[in-house]
Amino acid sequence: MFPGIYDFHWDAGHIIFLGIFYTVLVIVVSTIAIAMRRAILDFRGERAEALRWHADFEDLPDRWRRCRHELTGEVASRVCPNAFDCRHCTEHPKFVAARTPSTLAATHGAVVAGFAVPADRLYHRGHTWVRQDDYGVLTIGLDDFGAHLLGTPDEIRLPRIGSHVVTNGTGWRAKKNGVAVRILAPIDGEVVDVGGPDKGWYLKVRPDNPPDTRHLLTVTEAKLWMLRELERLQTSVATEGVGAALADGGLPVENLSEAIPADRRDAVMGMMFLNA
Amino acid sequence: MDNSFISRGIRRCSTPKFLAWLAPWAVLLGLGVFAIGLCLIKGLNQTNMDNRFAFGLWIFLDLTVIALGAGAFFTGFLLYILRREELRAVINSAVVIGFICYSGAVLILAVDVGQPLRAWFTFWHPNVHSMLTEVTFCITCYLGILAIEYAPIVLKNRQLRDVPSFLLFEHQLHKVMPLFAAVGTFLSFFHQGSLGGLYGVLQGRPFAFRDGFAIWPSTFFLFILSAIATGPAFVLLTTWMVSKISGKQLVRHSVFALLAQISGWLLIAYVGLKSLDTLVWLNVTAPRSGVSAIRFYGWQPFASWMLVVEIVVLGLLPALIFLSPSRRRSTPWLITASLLACGGVAVNRFVMTIQTLAVPTLRFEPFMLYFPSWQEIAAFVFVIAYGVILYSLSFRYLTLFPQERELQQQ
Repeated sequence: MFPGIYDFHWDAGHIIFLGIFYTVLVIVVSTIAIAMRRAILDFRGERAEALRWHADFEDLPDRWRRCRHELTGEVASRVCPNAFDCRHCTEHPKFVAARTPSTLAATHGAVVAGFAVPADRLYHRGHTWVRQDDYGVLTIGLDDFGAHLLGTPDEIRLPRIGSHVVTNGTGWRAKKNGVAVRILAPIDGEVVDVGGPDKGWYLKVRPDNPPDTRHLLTVTEAKLWMLRELERLQTSVATEGVGAALADGGLPVENLSEAIPADRRDAVMGMMFLNA
Repeated sequence: MDNSFISRGIRRCSTPKFLAWLAPWAVLLGLGVFAIGLCLIKGLNQTNMDNRFAFGLWIFLDLTVIALGAGAFFTGFLLYILRREELRAVINSAVVIGFICYSGAVLILAVDVGQPLRAWFTFWHPNVHSMLTEVTFCITCYLGILAIEYAPIVLKNRQLRDVPSFLLFEHQLHKVMPLFAAVGTFLSFFHQGSLGGLYGVLQGRPFAFRDGFAIWPSTFFLFILSAIATGPAFVLLTTWMVSKISGKQLVRHSVFALLAQISGWLLIAYVGLKSLDTLVWLNVTAPRSGVSAIRFYGWQPFASWMLVVEIVVLGLLPALIFLSPSRRRSTPWLITASLLACGGVAVNRFVMTIQTLAVPTLRFEPFMLYFPSWQEIAAFVFVIAYGVILYSLSFRYLTLFPQERELQQQ
């Protein structure tokens, strides 16, 4: 095994065989050490949340990762390659530049399929919204679809005041009927106040820099997206083998999750809130 | 009860049903532990092996599971090195199967060496000219690689990924996986080969002895080729079995078809080279040693039909099925061919291990008969039970088939 140990000889056989063995060993050990070191650096850099979102996004089926510009008909079919972060998308500015004043011109709010879509805020694909308040503070809440789906949560874990949330990282956690979901934060910033379902908003955050909201949906986009989300929900709770059935025209109930079959609730909630 | 540990969107049976499934395997595991305990405490006199028949059921089955476990390294090689992205659908399952096969084999070897407390001698005082030393080093290292490849699959468990440090380490491990796939391929290539090589260099056993290239007999290359040919077939077979038992579609049929195609081309190459090797052995190698090779097939029950079954029925036939585009579209045909191919590699390892030792070399030697003791059988049943339990737990709590969720929701 080593020079000096009984039966070791400085001959070609020992040198080649043990040389290869030690080379393999060095490669394996050093690779593990490098991976651990990088993981520690990531941990110190608080990159876990961002990485988690990317890992989760990778695990989502293609049909859940449709580009926002497909929703608006600006492109026939496109899977988002940027984890719903248009700030890093090379195509997004081109789509925006190609818009004419008549395209997506509507700026007023509306009620879409029973879900309110107010015009004073921007929307995140994880069913949260962001609204600019006074003094540079942003208010974050669940959109009407998310609020209907979650209903009155059985348990909420809000972040500490003073902690940071990152875009697509965990904003807060909620539990309903035994199903735990992470609600994704729509924007980066320091948490300055926390609310809850009774207040109609969940977090107030102060962005570190002037907020970049290019990845958030405008009200016009949100209206189209809301219809797609409803379709996604209907498909996921439809009877197996039947597919999506036409809605009866009624209004959505308050605690939608309770209407979902218990054995599918976990999957559906995860799907709608983009938790893998 | 354990739903929070099961991947979101994946449906699994209830906890009581799962425990009921595990129970009989746990009993078999207990029986195996008892048998292994007997072998370790009382010694190898608990087996029916002796100095003449030193390789028995354990080595035959070790060689078989190691060949079938080649699906792990070969799938990794195809995915990470040759970038066959379609195989991402089965890579996790292949890694778990590989880990089970290799860890089971190493465990049985630890019992088989008779004095496991001295097993470290082979590392500390290696005979670098021995094929078996190469096998020992490579299998040990590769088991380590498989454990490393298994780690990110475990760390991706729904609860574990909530721990930030686990998530980050899993992410970093995932990034270096191509390197481990390359090292695993290198190690597997050599130990699969050396397992064949160690028979091919047995000059005192003309039934197994073969000519070759440089220091490697032909069996070195044939073992590699047969392992990488049947590895994908075994991945296909196990995926289908899990799919049937769980009642869920786990991968798209195109993945089965790709595995079958890969297996088919490699199997046809193997059958060609194996036939050539057999002809050279029959007409050149054996006569040069002063024996008539055909005499070896005069001993019942291992007559010449074994050769026909091994090469034609369990080699050529599955290869032709795999290579037929119309047959590849049919799952029953693919499963039949996979069973034949996996049976073929088992028969080959049986022939090389058991038949080699059974047939007499010298004219005055008797034909040896060996039948494993219940302890030998129980020890191997332990490996089967361990494999089923570990795979069942992995299937329930880990994401072994990334396409499953999407297929379930379609």
